[in-house]
Amino acid sequence: MELKEKLVASYVAFESGIDIHTDIHEIRTNALRHFEKLGFPSKKLEAWKYTSLNSVLKQDYSLFPDNEIAIELADVKKYFIHDIDTYKIVFIDGKYSSFLSETTHDGMDVCLLSAAFRKPKYKVIIENYFNKIAKQDNLTSLNTAFASEGAFIHIPKNVEVEKPIQIINFTTGAENATMLQPRNLIVVEQNAHVQIIERHQSLTSNSVLTNAVAEIYVDRHATVDYYKIQNDSIHASLVDNVFIEQQSNSVCSVHTFSFGGNITRNNLNFYQKGEHIDSILKGITIIEGKQHVDHNTLVHHIAPNCESHQDYKGIYNERSTGVFNGKVLVNKEAQKTNAYQKNNNILMSNRATINAKPQLEIFADDVKCSHGCTIGQLDSDALFYMQQRGIPKKEARALLMYAFANTVLESVKIPEVKKRITKIIANKLAVNMGFDL
Amino acid sequence: MLKIENLHASVEDRAILKGINLEVKPGEVHAIMGPNGAGKSTMASVIAGNESYEMTEGVIELEGVDLADLAPEERAHQGVFLSFQYPVEIPGVSVTNFIKTAINENRKAKGLGDMPAKDLLKKIREKSALLEIDRKFLSRSLNEGFSGGEKKRNEIFQMAMLEPKLAILDETDSGLDIDALRIVASGVNKLKSKDNAVIIITHYQRLLDYIKPDFVHVLYDGKIVKSGDASLALELEEKGYDWIKELV
Amino acid sequence: MSKYTEDDLREELKTKEYEYGFYTDIESETFKKGLNEDVVRAISKKKNEPQWMTDWRLEAFRVWEQMEEPNWANVTYKKPNFQEIAYYSAPKPKKKLDSLDEVDPDLLETFKKLGISLEEQKRLANVAVDIVVDSVSVATTFKKTLGEKGIIFMPISEAIQEHPELVRKHLGTVVPTTDNFYAALNSAVFSDGSFCYIPKGVRCPMELSTYFRINEGGTGQFERTLVVADKGSYVSYLEGCTAPARDENQLHAAVVELIALDDAEIKYSTVQNWYPGDAEGSGGVFNFVTKRALCETNAKVSWTQVETGSAITWKYPSCILKGNNSVGEFYSIAVTNNYQQADTGTKMIHLGKNTKSTIISKGISAGKSQNSYRGLVHIGARAENARNFSQCDSLLMGNECGAHTFPYIETKNSSAQIEHEATTSKIGEEQLFYCNQRGIDTEKAIALIVNGFSKEVLNKLPMEFAVEAQKLLEISLEGSVG
Repeated sequence: MELKEKLVASYVAFESGIDIHTDIHEIRTNALRHFEKLGFPSKKLEAWKYTSLNSVLKQDYSLFPDNEIAIELADVKKYFIHDIDTYKIVFIDGKYSSFLSETTHDGMDVCLLSAAFRKPKYKVIIENYFNKIAKQDNLTSLNTAFASEGAFIHIPKNVEVEKPIQIINFTTGAENATMLQPRNLIVVEQNAHVQIIERHQSLTSNSVLTNAVAEIYVDRHATVDYYKIQNDSIHASLVDNVFIEQQSNSVCSVHTFSFGGNITRNNLNFYQKGEHIDSILKGITIIEGKQHVDHNTLVHHIAPNCESHQDYKGIYNERSTGVFNGKVLVNKEAQKTNAYQKNNNILMSNRATINAKPQLEIFADDVKCSHGCTIGQLDSDALFYMQQRGIPKKEARALLMYAFANTVLESVKIPEVKKRITKIIANKLAVNMGFDL
Repeated sequence: MLKIENLHASVEDRAILKGINLEVKPGEVHAIMGPNGAGKSTMASVIAGNESYEMTEGVIELEGVDLADLAPEERAHQGVFLSFQYPVEIPGVSVTNFIKTAINENRKAKGLGDMPAKDLLKKIREKSALLEIDRKFLSRSLNEGFSGGEKKRNEIFQMAMLEPKLAILDETDSGLDIDALRIVASGVNKLKSKDNAVIIITHYQRLLDYIKPDFVHVLYDGKIVKSGDASLALELEEKGYDWIKELV
Repeated sequence: MSKYTEDDLREELKTKEYEYGFYTDIESETFKKGLNEDVVRAISKKKNEPQWMTDWRLEAFRVWEQMEEPNWANVTYKKPNFQEIAYYSAPKPKKKLDSLDEVDPDLLETFKKLGISLEEQKRLANVAVDIVVDSVSVATTFKKTLGEKGIIFMPISEAIQEHPELVRKHLGTVVPTTDNFYAALNSAVFSDGSFCYIPKGVRCPMELSTYFRINEGGTGQFERTLVVADKGSYVSYLEGCTAPARDENQLHAAVVELIALDDAEIKYSTVQNWYPGDAEGSGGVFNFVTKRALCETNAKVSWTQVETGSAITWKYPSCILKGNNSVGEFYSIAVTNNYQQADTGTKMIHLGKNTKSTIISKGISAGKSQNSYRGLVHIGARAENARNFSQCDSLLMGNECGAHTFPYIETKNSSAQIEHEATTSKIGEEQLFYCNQRGIDTEKAIALIVNGFSKEVLNKLPMEFAVEAQKLLEISLEGSVG
């Protein structure tokens, strides 16, 4: 049976297995119908022109793995940012692991979406925020239809969360190929601050397909810093759909570090609903083999006097493929918008491919918008200069790649995250970096 | 030549000029000095007709012509030249093309045809020599990538080309090194005649060492609070603007 | 205080009439409206074409019937009814012309109004002109001078008769009949256009020029241009377009194929000023054009275009850089005003080694118009050391228009170096005041600033065209400034 039919067929069983909240039930059912109509995206769709999911859709995925698999902390500790104190919301095969997690209800809620669905005290929040900004496209609809579990984070007004929150999805793959559809809802109220680190990690050599959706609401004067560490096994593919709505004077940054995985597609959407908003989208991609990473960004400037800054760096080795498809949309009302988009790529191999489509759609006249996109190589003069000073070629190259990616690392606010990324990059380049950036 | 009576002006409903009176006769050089925020640049902009400033009261006349209702270009046609504190960049338009357009538009306003290319070239050569301007400079895009000194020299070059009746130099000395200052000042001195007049707006008296003013006015809080001859500038330099504040 | 504001300008633009919107009363022979195989055969027969040509057209028509009109461009319009168009319209009497004296005096008058005095151009500009009104080429000047060098420059209908081997060898090799909807339509029904062949090693001593004009109402114009520059040759080719003001939409679906063989260079310049429709957005030409060049080893093709006309423009002059060391260039100014919509850009397909391309695109939007740049830079896996530089700048005037940039960059070779930059800006109040202060009124100041903005592209036009292009820019934006 094809994956689409399998998903549709399993819907009734899925719904009867969980608590049916009437409103959510209706949203899910509509979403399923929508997905049934649209099906999986194909390359015929402009937004999927350069990314084909065909190879990963062929697998026979187990949709609702129910074996309880215990994981020893010692085995997975390395996947956490463990040298600092954090809240943790951990899922194993889509199920909450209370053993590995550290949640809270003390002055804020760092807990589970399933709990938020169930408990009456969250009813208003769910009504106001669940599935309000998620797009009605194929994969988001599919996720909505099966939305039952994920992280639920609610930071009330003026709360400055004192430690970062980690959201980790482990897959054990005990039942061969697994498909997961985590759904996160994050509501950050006025003047609140929060930092979030997210990771998807497969612990098996069986195929994994994750179709994640997150809705993030950033109220006035609030600050959200989001770090996505994508360094999954080569058998894991990810479609990550993120929708962020910002109100006046808020700042939201999303850093995406894509090093691992088979096919990774990041759909990152920002909607600026007030004035004096700053949206920051940054990414480093370093891949090899036949890996494929696609960054699809949208910044929608709806109100005046806002800014957006995009900076994506990519290094592509061997037969890997990179895609950057970024769009800045400026409404007529959004005067005095400053929007910058930068995408720089280095191809290290003749079999690697990069496809870029940096777009501007501008309907307001008093704006400063620019984009720059480059594709090139490491500076051979600089390489020679370093070699002449005795730095071996391999290290010199690594150093240059480092320098290339540095503008993105610089803005990472959690030192431990920066350190971790540095280490991953060093491993990736197979060099020993005797320095910190 | 220039008569300003009871001039009031505001920006976004904030009053900046609060009743200025000034008369400038042909052949005279007036210096307007004052602390930051006194309204010096506003006064220059209002005379030139910048729409960002609203003239709320008073009279500005040039040789008996009421300027108040004229558009900036019409004032320019009447002979008003403003050397900008921050000259604007216009990418892709060369200095030569710009000045050619400006000269011909001014001639058109006087009912004259375009200046013959030969005459124009001759004049450009003459005036660029006066200001020690390199030929290459003339083909660069207007003010784009110019240094501070080049921008100001370009302003005075345009003034030389357009031969205005009244030239207002708004902080022309700011951002100039001593050599550039000397070149600019000697240019202005050579252009001075018994038929035209110059208003120098400046914070410091350094430019006045090179261009001798006949009158010095001190502007403070939107009004001229003290007038005198060139010695007033020296006195100000010595005593500082706090001295003026005490006077008020 | 009285001041000429942008609002005044906009108001004036609305009332500014299309300068070339006159209609010449020349007796025409026009086919009945509608399209089927018989019409295609009739066109071919009318042209006295050989069988291979008729078959070629029919094949294209059959393909076209199966195709759908593309809708991916960033434009919205009511799709033309292809059965409501007359596919052939020729000024009558149609006889072969050997010199200008034989050209219909009314037609000559038309050219005068267009600003093309043939005699004058002959004398002063040394330009050989081929003029296509509606669908038929009416005059080719300078035939003799060109003939001495072995240069062929004639209506393509004549070339099919006189040089069938050359036409047959090259026609449809760069833009195949099946390439796209409009190209297929053009292949089936084109009635004339220009053909040009520059022999080996010959440097064409003068600019070659074609003027296109749609005169008759209810007709479509489907001209076909084929330029072949043989090894080591050089030609500069100019193309101008106008149409009278009509309240219906007229269709223009042309195909231009350029072939630059080894070491050859073709410079192709277009000033497009089809009727853009009135201030309310009714009428105007739908300009759906396929232009493509093939570059062999060391060859170079430059496309330069100034686009001020048409209600809808859908046009992507492209270069296939097949040969090693070949060079493609695209310089474009696209101005849209009122309700005009333009979706234009280029494709640079790098296949050979050491190939280079440059793209400079300047979009100026005013009124309620939408102006899009759409471009593709493709570096094939074998295109070692390919270089591309792209710069797309947009200038917005007023707050009811839109400027859009859709670049596609595809790279499969690690030695490629690609730089793409895009900016959006407006004419600053400070810039206007500065100009005003020097005695330059707002209208003239805008013209000056727009000219400065477009300069990199204007500089690429041949002298005769640059002046005309500059004037067009002012007309389409500044109303009375001239």
